[in-house]
Amino acid sequence: MLKRMTRLVSGARQLDPGRLLHGGPQAPQSLAAHPDNQVPDGSPRAVSCTSEGDPARHGEQHEARHYCIPLQDLRTTFPHGLPPRFGMQVRTFNEACLMVRRPALELLRYLKNTNFAHPAVRYVLYGEKGTGKTLSLCHVIHFCAKQDWLILHIPDAHLWVKNCRDLLQSTYNKQRFDQPVEASSWLKNFKTANERFLSQIKVQEKYVWNKRESTEKGRPLGEVVEQGLTRVRNATDAVGIVLKELKSQSRLGAFRLLVAVDGVNALWGRTTLKREDKSPVAPEELALVHSVRKMVRNDWHGGAIVLTLSQTGSLFKPRKAYLPQELLGKEGFDALDPFIPILVSNYSPKEFESCIQYYLENSWLQHEKEAPRVTNSREESPHINRLTLERVLLYSDVSTWLGDIPWEILSCKSSALAQYFKKGRSEVAPTSSESGSSGSSAAEAAAALH
Amino acid sequence: MTHRFRTLRSLFLISRSGTPRAAFLGSSWPAKMAAPVGKAARGWSVLALGLRSVVPRLPGLTQVRWSRYGPEYKDPQIDKEYYRKPLAELTEEEKYEQELRKIQLIKAAPAAKTSSVFEDPVISKFTNMMMKGGNKVLARSLMTQTLEAVKRKQFEKYHAASAQEQATIERNPYTIFHQALKNCEPVIGLVPILRGGHFYQVPVPLPDRRRRFLAMKWMITECREKKHRRMLMPEKLSHELLEAFHNQGPVVKKKQDMHKMAEANRALAHYRWW
Repeated sequence: MLKRMTRLVSGARQLDPGRLLHGGPQAPQSLAAHPDNQVPDGSPRAVSCTSEGDPARHGEQHEARHYCIPLQDLRTTFPHGLPPRFGMQVRTFNEACLMVRRPALELLRYLKNTNFAHPAVRYVLYGEKGTGKTLSLCHVIHFCAKQDWLILHIPDAHLWVKNCRDLLQSTYNKQRFDQPVEASSWLKNFKTANERFLSQIKVQEKYVWNKRESTEKGRPLGEVVEQGLTRVRNATDAVGIVLKELKSQSRLGAFRLLVAVDGVNALWGRTTLKREDKSPVAPEELALVHSVRKMVRNDWHGGAIVLTLSQTGSLFKPRKAYLPQELLGKEGFDALDPFIPILVSNYSPKEFESCIQYYLENSWLQHEKEAPRVTNSREESPHINRLTLERVLLYSDVSTWLGDIPWEILSCKSSALAQYFKKGRSEVAPTSSESGSSGSSAAEAAAALH
Repeated sequence: MTHRFRTLRSLFLISRSGTPRAAFLGSSWPAKMAAPVGKAARGWSVLALGLRSVVPRLPGLTQVRWSRYGPEYKDPQIDKEYYRKPLAELTEEEKYEQELRKIQLIKAAPAAKTSSVFEDPVISKFTNMMMKGGNKVLARSLMTQTLEAVKRKQFEKYHAASAQEQATIERNPYTIFHQALKNCEPVIGLVPILRGGHFYQVPVPLPDRRRRFLAMKWMITECREKKHRRMLMPEKLSHELLEAFHNQGPVVKKKQDMHKMAEANRALAHYRWW
């Protein structure tokens, strides 16, 4: 944990000083000044949340605000589950609030203006660890689900190239390997997410599973999925068939297809799987990986491909690597070339404000401490993103490890915190008083050091 | 670095209070012996090897844990408020003390103590007791994960409860932790006393530090031993803390058993002579 925290200390980016304030009212105004649709300005959640639940209507005015996804939508749109820490937060706060951020807004704009006659464009979200690539992908998936696209979501491609118990030799192609467990769980989630399309799409070829079972031409795709679920041995082949059919039929225009893969660099990396004779398995020898690679090629039209690179969970890649060239390698980069790279960066001060405000509103900051005034004297921006902020606030005594950390938070000049402390605890949260977990300790550290 | 320097210095000073022993190692420093400082002037008896105060060689009095600091080293003042007080508010004694601290020798502050607002001696002590093999990083991370788990469980309970119950649910993990440990502290303990060839368990009032230690020890032992092999420590510990907070659970039961045994043996109380 110490090492993880030292990431915050390295580097310094200059923030525009105009944004930074001494606890004045300006920053909340910058959030609240934009016309919000339905929430009245007086309510406490006007600053960090917006009531605009439809991602199609998200625009610049919603930037840095949280919007809520209804919980029943979560089960249908994200049957695989969300990233684990976000899932924990959803369970804790009883609501799923995603922050609307610039990379996601950019992506949504591109998707709204897609020309479905052209080949599918590949968008690659890349960025350092914990900056929000997966959640931006979730935002985009929610948008497409609302727009009634067919969603092909692979939550983590890294899970397919490591820790696989049973590898069967594929019946379709002797050189490749099947992964029944992963394939069947993916099919189950695919079915939950796209129930309504499975009866509409018809299979265009006859598929023979074994001596007794076969799927005739013209049967709904749901039958293929059922076959994969009931006969786990054929699950991988079922996945391959589903992908092939969707790819060939997307040009007909009956539906729009979104291919969303998280951790796409797993498809071109190395695996930790071994054959019985302990020789390593290359990723192209896995049937699942092979079919997804074909899916991610831009030789079809009628949809879009949104990909995410991820170093967390990747195999044999250095910890600091985040650029597409580093994570994909030559092979992967050439396969994905040309693509549109979208950088997802750390929190801007406005987003940081919003995040802190969100935590304050949910009374997540519970530590009882007197609130000193928030002083600020440094202008270097810390590298704050949701991951580090969450850890800092959860562990809230991180300053006992490194005096620098609350410094970093402090230097963001959180006016939300300053406002809060100026007002005093009683006005905002009567039962649970809390300290600025970071802000006050930072203030202490600041005062002590000078 | 300061610590090493200080220990070098302390070679030339007397070691512990009361033991008039020379604090020099070996005969390789004969030239420096010319400057005895402080209590060394009391006179030393010269040991051939110059060991640092192990005599008198009685088995019960062998020093096991000893500090490289001499008695004139004062503990560091960690509290920031002490230094923040404006001069006008200080009493005469406090002013004198502050002046004195500028001249006195002060020990180096331990790495685990900070002047943060979140510094909690109870939590630090508990973390140290959970630590195995000096792996403070692991112990610390387990502690923070436990507090996080406690907080999340309480939040889930809060959201599931009705409006009246919400006021009663405590969500601050630190108050829960402190209250749980307070609930586990025994008031009276048992001590084996030898009388007539037999050891009797005699009920004895426990000092505060022993009670706190026992509470933490029981909590940690319970969580280490009585859990499923695959269950992780934060999960189990958070569960036990929440139960102890509500005065239920095995640790509180152990405290109550201790009280019952003490009550049962109260006839032996006169065996205690202190």
